[in-house]
Amino acid sequence: MDIFLKVENITKQFAGHTALDDVSLEVPRGCVYGLLGPNGAGKTTLIRIINHITAPDKGRVWFNGHPLSPADVVNIGYLPEERGLYKTMKVGEQALYFAQLKGLSKAEATARLKKWFVKFGIEGWWNKKVSELSKGMAQKVQFIVTVLHEPQLLIFDEPFSGFDPINANLLKNEILELRDKGATVIFSTHNMSSVEEVCDHITLINKSKNILSGPLDEVRRAHGGNIFEVDFRGDRGALVGALEGLPCTLLDESLVATEEDGTDKGLKIHINRDEDVRSVVEVINNSVQLRTFREVIPSMNDIFIKAVANHSAK
Amino acid sequence: MGKIKIIAAREFNERVRKKSFIITTILMPIAFVAIMFVPALMMNISSDEKKEIIVVDQSGLVGGGLHDDGQVTFTTSDKSFDALKEENNEVFGILVIGEDVATNPSNVQLFTYESSTINIESAITEQIRGIIESEKLKEYNIEDLDRILDEIKTPVSLQVKQLNESGEAKDSSAILNIALAYVFGFLIYMFVFLYGNMVMQGVIEEKSNKVMEVMVSSVKPFQLMMGKILGIAAVAITQFMIWVAFIIVVGAVALNLLGGEELMAAAQTGAAMDPAMAMGGVSLDKDTVALINTVSDPGYLLRIFGGFLIYFVGGYLLYAAMFAAVGSAVDNEKDTNNLQLPITIPLILAIFVMMNAMQEPNGPLAVWFSMIPFTSPVVMMVRLPYGLPDGFWWSVVLLYATFLGMVWLAGKIYRVGVFMYGKKPTLGELLKWVRYKS
Repeated sequence: MDIFLKVENITKQFAGHTALDDVSLEVPRGCVYGLLGPNGAGKTTLIRIINHITAPDKGRVWFNGHPLSPADVVNIGYLPEERGLYKTMKVGEQALYFAQLKGLSKAEATARLKKWFVKFGIEGWWNKKVSELSKGMAQKVQFIVTVLHEPQLLIFDEPFSGFDPINANLLKNEILELRDKGATVIFSTHNMSSVEEVCDHITLINKSKNILSGPLDEVRRAHGGNIFEVDFRGDRGALVGALEGLPCTLLDESLVATEEDGTDKGLKIHINRDEDVRSVVEVINNSVQLRTFREVIPSMNDIFIKAVANHSAK
Repeated sequence: MGKIKIIAAREFNERVRKKSFIITTILMPIAFVAIMFVPALMMNISSDEKKEIIVVDQSGLVGGGLHDDGQVTFTTSDKSFDALKEENNEVFGILVIGEDVATNPSNVQLFTYESSTINIESAITEQIRGIIESEKLKEYNIEDLDRILDEIKTPVSLQVKQLNESGEAKDSSAILNIALAYVFGFLIYMFVFLYGNMVMQGVIEEKSNKVMEVMVSSVKPFQLMMGKILGIAAVAITQFMIWVAFIIVVGAVALNLLGGEELMAAAQTGAAMDPAMAMGGVSLDKDTVALINTVSDPGYLLRIFGGFLIYFVGGYLLYAAMFAAVGSAVDNEKDTNNLQLPITIPLILAIFVMMNAMQEPNGPLAVWFSMIPFTSPVVMMVRLPYGLPDGFWWSVVLLYATFLGMVWLAGKIYRVGVFMYGKKPTLGELLKWVRYKS
């Protein structure tokens, strides 16, 4: 795997508390990497270290194969959770200003900005003052400013907050498009359904420690716990009887639904081991008419809550 | 450096284009003149109203001799003090002169219906003294007394010339020196406060707007701070240059109206010859001659204006760094009060020292405080009109070196402060931040 950003055993202490404790993670090139964790877990500190705003006490950050240096900052685009623009400045001028600080020439920045403004349908805003814009409108401007210099690494902290569903969707597609063009994206959020939609990999930080890392699919499957949903037509009693003696347990009776004609249609079971799946399916198939048989993958929300609760309890 | 320039350019453009900049550029000179001269004007206005005083002269010696002046009018009355008191006249007061005033000069009483002023009191005693003295002189029966007195009157007028190293004598106008010291000292004090506050407010605005959060991923906090300080310095210098240009234009127009060339010629010849004489149709007294000659000396002007710029910029930079550090530490302006003490105390001290140093521009007080970087920008203004002081360049070097040290210190505080929210730090905590690792 081609690793774009590598965080190696980072420890950071502030007066009185440890913000990050021996945190390591690897962000593959060209993916959307979810950085998750409860409030105050240390995510922002980690992002600031990657942004070279603060330095770690211990550990190192590797950026595109070399140790992170201040010069790499021009290859990073950071959209902080706390958005801010100069209120009295005009939108266009302000975007130009931020672009120039990221090293773009004025002409280049103007050309790119015009393109983005057209893309977002906000050409008319160029000469408006920021104070005239709504929160969502200002967020759009801020997004453009973040990605304008086409950085290799993009860091978004809660990018969808303050957006209506239509604009959130627009933004989501832009982020995925940037990824497809080769950018690596770090995505920090508390909105777990958006994690499921956009992230390829995740890391969960709790109490300054990395407690869970990996590709999203694997993480979810690993937390699946071998629970399967069976959808069928036929006699439920016959099926339950047939399953007896097999290495599986029936779960959650309430989920069993009954069709109007009196036939049962659904069942949730837990199968003890992976290798037993085939034998269980065989038995089900023999006793009832099997419609679907699929593994129940837990939502990121459930995984988040469970993992944090387990870790905090230790 | 490139980024500092971009930041400074934004600060400059944003501020110079604001309406408030144009308004202050116009209003500041007016306000400044008002602050300095209105109190003087007010004193003149109040003296326009004449105070009426009823005189009860028991000696019969003084009463007739009292004459009205700009402030008071005297009315002699035959009535007794008690009777007048009963009448309750609509006057300022009643002056009672004792019978034996010639031998017992303290037997004079002034009863007033409102509070009296030193001016009125000294005017009255001065008149009474004059009358009694001349009465006493008369008793000596000297012939032609008035003529003798007129003859011995000698109005001495001192022409001050300052010798430079090559032995050349130059006119030195003490009035001008004091006026310039006063004006420039105050200007530095005001500018440092005004523009330093601008820096502080800018930092607070960026922090509360959360612009800082966006900026710090592109630029270092230090660059942000320096850019702001330098950008606002450029605003200040621009404003000052506009005023200088304005003064030159107004001065040129005024000189033209007064018949400039003749005046200059008169001043130059007048300085060499008898100044009191009328020259080329223009008559000038020595003070004016000295003034014009001082003002038209390019070395003098260069010293004053150049010195002002050097010290204004240095003083501003030094204090702006402190203002920036304070701004970075708080969430809103209300919380700055106690943190601003280390800034305001030396500045106010500088003004006090300046006032005193005017009496003795090269005395130990002036010399020491014009070396200390926190007070030198203001205090040095008092010394500059009297020639380039010893240790001038040392003072400049010290000021700018202290600025560099202060910027380093402020940068350390700033870097921590801009990420601190919801805290009301004390000065001690601010100094602790200096030692934090980045």
